[in-house]
Amino acid sequence: MDIKNISEDKLNLFVDKQLDTDEMNEIHEALLDDKDLRERVCQLKAVRELVGYAYSDVPGSAYDAHEQSRSSSMFAKAIAASVTLVVGVLLGWSTYEYSPNAIQAISAENAFQYVANHVDVEHGKRKIVLHIDSSDLQVVNAALNEADQLLATYRQANTPIELDIITNKKGINILRPGMSPYIARIQELVANDGVAIYACDRSIAKALKREGVDIVLMPGVAKDKSARELIPERLKQGWVYIKA
Amino acid sequence: MKVVKDLVAAFSLKAEFAKRRNKLYRIAYSWCHDAALADDLVQETIYKALKNASKLRDVNTMDSWLYRILYNCWHDYLRVKGRNVEFVEMHDEEQVDHSENYQQSQIVKRVRASVEQLPLPLREVVTLADFAGFSYAQIAEITEVPIGTVMSRLFRARQNLKEQLLEFGSDDLSEFKLRRVK
Repeated sequence: MDIKNISEDKLNLFVDKQLDTDEMNEIHEALLDDKDLRERVCQLKAVRELVGYAYSDVPGSAYDAHEQSRSSSMFAKAIAASVTLVVGVLLGWSTYEYSPNAIQAISAENAFQYVANHVDVEHGKRKIVLHIDSSDLQVVNAALNEADQLLATYRQANTPIELDIITNKKGINILRPGMSPYIARIQELVANDGVAIYACDRSIAKALKREGVDIVLMPGVAKDKSARELIPERLKQGWVYIKA
Repeated sequence: MKVVKDLVAAFSLKAEFAKRRNKLYRIAYSWCHDAALADDLVQETIYKALKNASKLRDVNTMDSWLYRILYNCWHDYLRVKGRNVEFVEMHDEEQVDHSENYQQSQIVKRVRASVEQLPLPLREVVTLADFAGFSYAQIAEITEVPIGTVMSRLFRARQNLKEQLLEFGSDDLSEFKLRRVK
């Protein structure tokens, strides 16, 4: 693939994850060094997300109104949940920013909280929490690529960044020596970029119960809180949340 | 016994369709921008799906099968009405329900207006990809066009939207960008 002249067609395939793994990785690597490419990808992703968002909460159907009138409030709650908003502030449209591949998912309440807080964040460090709850190779690979790209982007822009990686469910497996192929890569993130790594204490307890053996994690992993505590704490402080 | 089995199967299928109803409605709405029409289209889709349930060989393909029916219902409607593809009256003005945040509602209105301006084949493809999250192969199956056509339509749709939204983005989106969880 001619990385220097990637066509818009190819970038569409990239943002839609329709390329094979090698080609995806090639473009991921190119993104680290190419600001213009990052901007093009960022714009395509932004368009995609905006179209998705614009129809997430359309005028209600007559059928829904009828169903709501006769069903329990559970239905209304489900509808409310379905219009959960996601906010990415100052990631995307500006020329030097890279909009993460993963979706930034927070509730509407969190979103407004984020907006209220983001000015402070803006003048200080960029604070980003990357949530990994899967040990699927493709998901983890993409998440770590995202982490690399974010760090590279902010480094290049001389903007300090604080990145926390929070793992839970099967995601804790990526921190288990002898089981995870990512240990060295994560250690590099910790040593070179000061990334903080967390493993959900509830997920560890569940894994222990399920497997009946001690769950040994790589050194330096904080494991005294659950993901349910760690993530909202950060959201309230205005961190950007990225779900792998 | 067979009657009971058929009844159980029918109920379970109906429940599966009901689960998908909301998303079908939103896609129909994204094509026609008319709540009542979107409702009718989904109603007809589910009716036809139940009637032709025996033709669904693999439940894993239920989504693309249902959207294919919706797509056909929509195109039948356009044919019957003799409308050309550039149709549709916007009803969003008073109905975008994001009143808690004016800026959000402006973004939604702007994006919908931009999508509405797209030629219909482009609009259908971009909403199936970006809102419903179908793969190119599934979209090709739903719209019955070659995968290359899906790619080129998606490319043109996004180029078009990018131009319109970037212009808007310089004023509004640079500081506040909304995203959605599927």
